[in-house]
Amino acid sequence: MIGATMDLQKLLDEPLNQLVEDAIEKGMLPVGYACSMVPEVLLSIGKLFPVRLRAPNVAGTEMADVYLSSVICSLSRSLLEFALEGKYSFLKGFVFTASCDHLRRLNDNLRYCEKPEFIDILDIPHKITDEAVQWTIDELRRFAQQLKSHFGVDAGNENVMEAIRRRNILNTLLRRINDLRKSQNPPFSGTQYHRLIMATQVVPPDDAINLASEFLESVTRNAEHPRFRARVMLVGGNLDDPSYTEIIESQGALVVADRYCTGSFPALEPYALEGDPYEILARRVLTITRCPRMMEGFPVRLEYIMNLYREYAVDGIIIESIKFCDTWGVETSALVSRLRERGIPVLRLEREYHQSGEGQLRTRVQAFLESMGK
Amino acid sequence: MAEITVADRVVSGKYKALNLLSIAKMGIKNGPYDMARDLIRYPWLWELLKVNRLITKLTDGRSGNYRKAISMLIHEVTKEVINLLEGIYFRKDRLVLHEDMVPPEILRAMGLSPWMPEVLGILLPMLEPRAMEPYIDVAENEGVPPDVCSLPKAVIGMTQKNFLPPAIAVVTSNLPCDGGMTSYLYVEKKTNAPVFRLDIPHNFKEARAEKYFAQELRRMIQWLEAHTPGRMDWDRLKSICEERNKMQEYELELWDMVSQRPAPLSAEAVYLAHLWFFNVCSGLKSATKVFKKLVELAKENRDKGVSALPDEKYRALLWNPPTLHAMDLFVWAEKNFGVTCVMDSMTFNRLPFINTSSEESMLIGIGRNIMNGPMARHTRGPIENYFDDMFYIIKHFNVDMLWMAGHIGCKNTQALNTIMREKCREAGVPLLIIDYDLSDTRIVPREGIFSQVEHFMENVMGVHSQMTA
Repeated sequence: MIGATMDLQKLLDEPLNQLVEDAIEKGMLPVGYACSMVPEVLLSIGKLFPVRLRAPNVAGTEMADVYLSSVICSLSRSLLEFALEGKYSFLKGFVFTASCDHLRRLNDNLRYCEKPEFIDILDIPHKITDEAVQWTIDELRRFAQQLKSHFGVDAGNENVMEAIRRRNILNTLLRRINDLRKSQNPPFSGTQYHRLIMATQVVPPDDAINLASEFLESVTRNAEHPRFRARVMLVGGNLDDPSYTEIIESQGALVVADRYCTGSFPALEPYALEGDPYEILARRVLTITRCPRMMEGFPVRLEYIMNLYREYAVDGIIIESIKFCDTWGVETSALVSRLRERGIPVLRLEREYHQSGEGQLRTRVQAFLESMGK
Repeated sequence: MAEITVADRVVSGKYKALNLLSIAKMGIKNGPYDMARDLIRYPWLWELLKVNRLITKLTDGRSGNYRKAISMLIHEVTKEVINLLEGIYFRKDRLVLHEDMVPPEILRAMGLSPWMPEVLGILLPMLEPRAMEPYIDVAENEGVPPDVCSLPKAVIGMTQKNFLPPAIAVVTSNLPCDGGMTSYLYVEKKTNAPVFRLDIPHNFKEARAEKYFAQELRRMIQWLEAHTPGRMDWDRLKSICEERNKMQEYELELWDMVSQRPAPLSAEAVYLAHLWFFNVCSGLKSATKVFKKLVELAKENRDKGVSALPDEKYRALLWNPPTLHAMDLFVWAEKNFGVTCVMDSMTFNRLPFINTSSEESMLIGIGRNIMNGPMARHTRGPIENYFDDMFYIIKHFNVDMLWMAGHIGCKNTQALNTIMREKCREAGVPLLIIDYDLSDTRIVPREGIFSQVEHFMENVMGVHSQMTA
């Protein structure tokens, strides 16, 4: 088990990891994407495979600050910094969604500075209506056409459905692993799980399935049952660095559930398998991500968190958001007050994309656990 | 600097007197008891009473038709504010709160009384520079991050203080930015009124986006009919759209004259007129009259060979919203450096008239106006939307320099400053980025804004203040 997690961490240390390198050698084409609203299934067709854009261990964002300014979230700045440093030169293209002001401007600046051969931004509605679904279907078909003309990829219905099926295999495995977190003494830590879930987003789909299978086998055979003082749920936007979870857990918390963009919920819900695959993807993009940018979704998002809270027997909720993120910034304020109104212990953390303020984070988590009497 | 004659003083004095009269009439109509109650219930009303200070501020050193245009404009805005307030006083059962990127034309056509919460965040700092700061503090104390734009923060603060009028419904949208969009979570909770949210696509210039948004507007109408006593009157909407088209014709005529060097009218006569009458009172006959009058004044100046500034030396394009808490920026710049603002990003657009031949065509036209509304058309879509307009204006309006009002809370525009810098350098356009906050003087006070301009004029343009010379 420990060996497995060490391997997973290795996959996360650099954007270009061993499995991506191997895939490129076999002639596969990695495409970077930066938001959970990007239907990565469409990037898993033919020779393409999706790689979630990350900037692990980014040391500073001096060059990106010049372009994006210092008031743009540090995720966007870090990604641009890595792009300007040439750390994504192995990628054959970039895909964004117009999900928030920051990522849109990252897309604009990346186009301007780097002029990638392939870069696309998906225009996804902010609410869910029949017209919005149709809009999204049209948008995904337009995107598929772009993939075809640039990469020669056939994103016809059959191939898309095949990619969906393959994604469901991964989701099924991850859900089985995730279900183990419901037990009184989960067989692995939140950090280990975070590493796994991140690793599956930065390697080719088949490798992701292998990683998840190995992980499941490993935890079934050799459970660790980490000791903990309190079960917590982690809520927020993009959180792709497992060391953040590790610091939280170092104080005695055990992250048993999560609802952040790069995490397990709601991404692991199974894809529908009946009907037009583009409609399946469109509905999923609009409904599954549960991002605060979806204007009418606050009650649903709140209820979703409440359900996880009950289902995973959570003691307290930690909400983290990256500084300067408007959607999560305002949403968090509203969430905190509604959750506290319901008597749920909540800790609100504002953070930078890169790991910083470790001591402060430890102190705040420690105080939070104590405030819950744990 | 213009010489101020007795006639000039009489003109501004007249409009100040008319303002007082309008305010007194409002007090009488509302009744002394209700007026007193409302002054307690809505303390921001006290700030509105300071309107004549704005005339004093904005007519300083300005003479002739330029002075008259600005005095008249402020008086007309005052009258329209009073009209809006009457919606709060007398038509409570029809009062709908709408965000700034929602078309009030439709609400009016439905017989509803619109009230835009953002209007106070725009208007009050013009009258009292520090007016929004207490509300910004309230929002931040609620946990809203300080880096969110101060306009939605001010709305959140006013909401939390219960200073918004009780409404029967709320209509909002995802424009112009994420901060504005999310702020209505607070309005929704506090007002406890039903909320409808309009969705505007990112690539709003595509024909399918226009169709999509027209459908959204139709859904909004149906929703309003279900949740309010308002009923759509398409004939009324048609006359509102026609009236707006007339106003637009006048505005285009005004721009034609302003594009000539020297401009017969400029600054607030161009941008404040558009900001208020196109966004708040579009389609009202009174609004069209204001533009008709502005055109007359400009024509008279042009025909007589009189310019707004006696000695127009430089023409500036203002990008982003005007510096609300330093509204006299161009009064000061005119006096000190002979710089006049001939156009701004919030005003300029290249939109066709609304086609009133059918319900659908009207919705498409209104939708197009909203999607291309102030800020929205530059903060959405690809960056071409931003820079095409910018360099078109620079050329078409014979502009010498670009002043970017770099509102710190506008992340959308902050993230394009470097590209803008590089493009301006390439095009040989002198660029000033003013660091400030739209509604919070504590970030950069008025003097700080002026000193940035002064440094730019001295160091980049190589001119010294006429006042100190």
